[in-house]
Amino acid sequence: MLGIEHLLFVLTTFAFPPVALTVLLCIILATFGKSLGLRQMYVDTLINIFEWGARQIKTTEKIRRKESALTAPFFLNKLSEEADDDEDEIRSMETPHFEATDGITDDEIEARSETESHDSGEDFPSVDSDFGDESCLKRKFGSTTSLASVGSCCSLRNRKMSESSTLGIIKRETQIYLDDNFSEDIPDEVFVRSRGWAAIRDSVDFVKAGMEAIIEDEVTSRFEAEQLVSWNMLTRTSIKFYQFVNWKLSALWILGFMFRYCVMLPLRFTVFCIGLVFLISSTALIGLVPIGNWKKALNHKCMLICYRILSRSLTAVVYFHDEHYKAQAQGICVANHTSPIDALILSIDNVYALIGQKHEGLLGIVQRALSRASSHIWFERSEAKDRLVVAQKLKEHCTNPDKLPILIFPEGTCINNTSVMMFKKGSFEIGTTIYPIAMKYDSRFGDAFWNSSEQSWCGYIMRMMTSWAIICNVWYLPPMTRRDGEDAVDFANRVKKEIANKGGLVDLEWDGGLKRAKVPPKMVAKQQERYANRLSRYTSVSEVVKDEDVDVTSDYLVDKPVSGYNSLEDLPEDVFIDEEEDETIDAHDENENDDPAGESNILPNKPLSDTVSLVKT
Amino acid sequence: MGNSSSLMLRDEEIEEIMSETEFNRNQIVRLYSRFLSLDKKGQGFLSRDDFLNVPELAVNPLGDRIVDAFFTLASSNGDNEEQQLNFRQFVRILAHFQPISRVKKNALNSRKDKLLFAFKMYDLNKNDYITREEFKVILNSMVGANITSDQLDKIADRTIEEADADRDGKISFDEFCRAMEKTDIEEKMSIRFLN
Repeated sequence: MLGIEHLLFVLTTFAFPPVALTVLLCIILATFGKSLGLRQMYVDTLINIFEWGARQIKTTEKIRRKESALTAPFFLNKLSEEADDDEDEIRSMETPHFEATDGITDDEIEARSETESHDSGEDFPSVDSDFGDESCLKRKFGSTTSLASVGSCCSLRNRKMSESSTLGIIKRETQIYLDDNFSEDIPDEVFVRSRGWAAIRDSVDFVKAGMEAIIEDEVTSRFEAEQLVSWNMLTRTSIKFYQFVNWKLSALWILGFMFRYCVMLPLRFTVFCIGLVFLISSTALIGLVPIGNWKKALNHKCMLICYRILSRSLTAVVYFHDEHYKAQAQGICVANHTSPIDALILSIDNVYALIGQKHEGLLGIVQRALSRASSHIWFERSEAKDRLVVAQKLKEHCTNPDKLPILIFPEGTCINNTSVMMFKKGSFEIGTTIYPIAMKYDSRFGDAFWNSSEQSWCGYIMRMMTSWAIICNVWYLPPMTRRDGEDAVDFANRVKKEIANKGGLVDLEWDGGLKRAKVPPKMVAKQQERYANRLSRYTSVSEVVKDEDVDVTSDYLVDKPVSGYNSLEDLPEDVFIDEEEDETIDAHDENENDDPAGESNILPNKPLSDTVSLVKT
Repeated sequence: MGNSSSLMLRDEEIEEIMSETEFNRNQIVRLYSRFLSLDKKGQGFLSRDDFLNVPELAVNPLGDRIVDAFFTLASSNGDNEEQQLNFRQFVRILAHFQPISRVKKNALNSRKDKLLFAFKMYDLNKNDYITREEFKVILNSMVGANITSDQLDKIADRTIEEADADRDGKISFDEFCRAMEKTDIEEKMSIRFLN
């Protein structure tokens, strides 16, 4: 016992000065908002190490593949060939497909390639990141061609556990869209022999869409940790890497592990505690200062210092872009949401009022502390249902010029930073200026995503502190205001699109609330309505001949002459316009008396190709 | 994380699956990881709810029916009647949706197998016939409350009439296939699996 005590004593004596110095340096730098560029150096070094690791994996796999090619049965041979040229493989898969199905009209092929190019456009949003030298580590999004050689080699024999892979299993062709883009897929009048059988044929499309969704879907994967193509020496993100590659990598991993847990963690934890104590005590003091300009200025200064210290406890390297768009006066800042530290990251650069649910535990203490110094809006979980109350508070806050700009994450839930999901319209109903902010984390150095259904908040912070670093790019976007005649939902979608574009994220129409909740029946009803609408366009040839036209929903079909429109351009304008307007108004009304998750989105199927084939029959 | 050893995919299993479907090893491993992520409770099998937790499926008007056909086919292929699906069954059903290749012939993804899936979806009481009522149920779930029951009746009557070759008032699988003759099922019910 004594021996251990003695040892500990000696250790602390030796360890104390450097630790204390580092922490002190860190805090002093944070106070003045200066940086020595140490974190940048650290990050650059890490990139080099990862690249080296990736090369190691590649070469080892190559050697292994050659070996197995000599000994293994035929399928392994085939596999290694396939892994060599994924991209070609996909191409060659597509082409014979077109050839095999004869009797496709040119239009159809055109239509299909159009949708395909559209798809791929969605799949690979361009990521402009600050790193130029990441060629081999560059993350890939989406599915199709993203099986970069390293990733696919590893996953060959790897048992990936619970993460659904963003590395694509299939190429999706049928997809349920959640936008209001009616006109795209409403076919004009189509002659069919029998409406019933046309419906059966269409049901096959639903089946395909359903099966594809079973194999790979857009939504659930967004609530799970994003998969990386290459390994970042952490066991938790990316492909599971329990497999032995070579001793050099294993040694590197052990070293990295020791570094993260024995050096970084204690340092970070110390800094974190100091930051937290500083935050709580300073807000308590500021709370005593009488309201006025003094208090404001003091709060501004203190908050920046606090957040800078706290951000250093996670080795957060944040790049702010386009700072001239930063919110100065009152207004609403909206950003995409990945984790609770989003607010921290953004607050390094500017002081915001926060809005959110009341939390328990550590986060609750912080929330209460923050409220002492300036006004934030915290609401109870039950109150969240009562949107009016929150909206009222929000409105009051926004109209008061003395208050800080308010920071809102309108997705309402954490998403794994590969996409942006539906924005709740609440914050867009108030007529103030919106300052959009796009955030994109670099998940190679540690996954910032908080899977709140699996992890506690403290567990999350712990994981952050044992990661390599938190790298984040923040883009301030030009302020946006609601246009005349634009409703809150459209405005929210417009802002969301801007954020998605800037951050290189996939723009999804789905509601993040589906993480926990079931799909509300209303969404299905919308889809049914859409199909009914489509069915109403079918004109059964036999029925016309027998002159017993069963018109399904619409009155406009009756007085519309039965003719063979073949493209959307031929269609009388008014049909669409009327309809779309009705649709949006309906959707809006329905939303009014419904839950905050209100989806006004209509889910079209994608029947582009079969309209043509239906005409043929 | 639920990575108990019982959830691991064994090499023999992979090879068995490879022999009965056209999937390659890589695809099977990927499908397995999907299977695990669908299996939220970590039970080693999927239930109906696990499927319907996928929002994109739940929002599909026929989502419920698709899951039903999934389970019907899985249980008719052999062992279990209960509402559980293991990985083996899961892959077998998905194999129906593999594109038909001209090189390899396999027992699961012929045109007929693809049609059978659709047929099973309509055949609610699983007596191998689609009746007028069954068709009405499906059509109704596709269009919801947007058409009147009168119109629904008319369409249903006509549909049965048109394909019912032997005039027994219901559609058998053969009649179903004949009516779908002109439809490009090979294309419509094939999913492009990546290598």
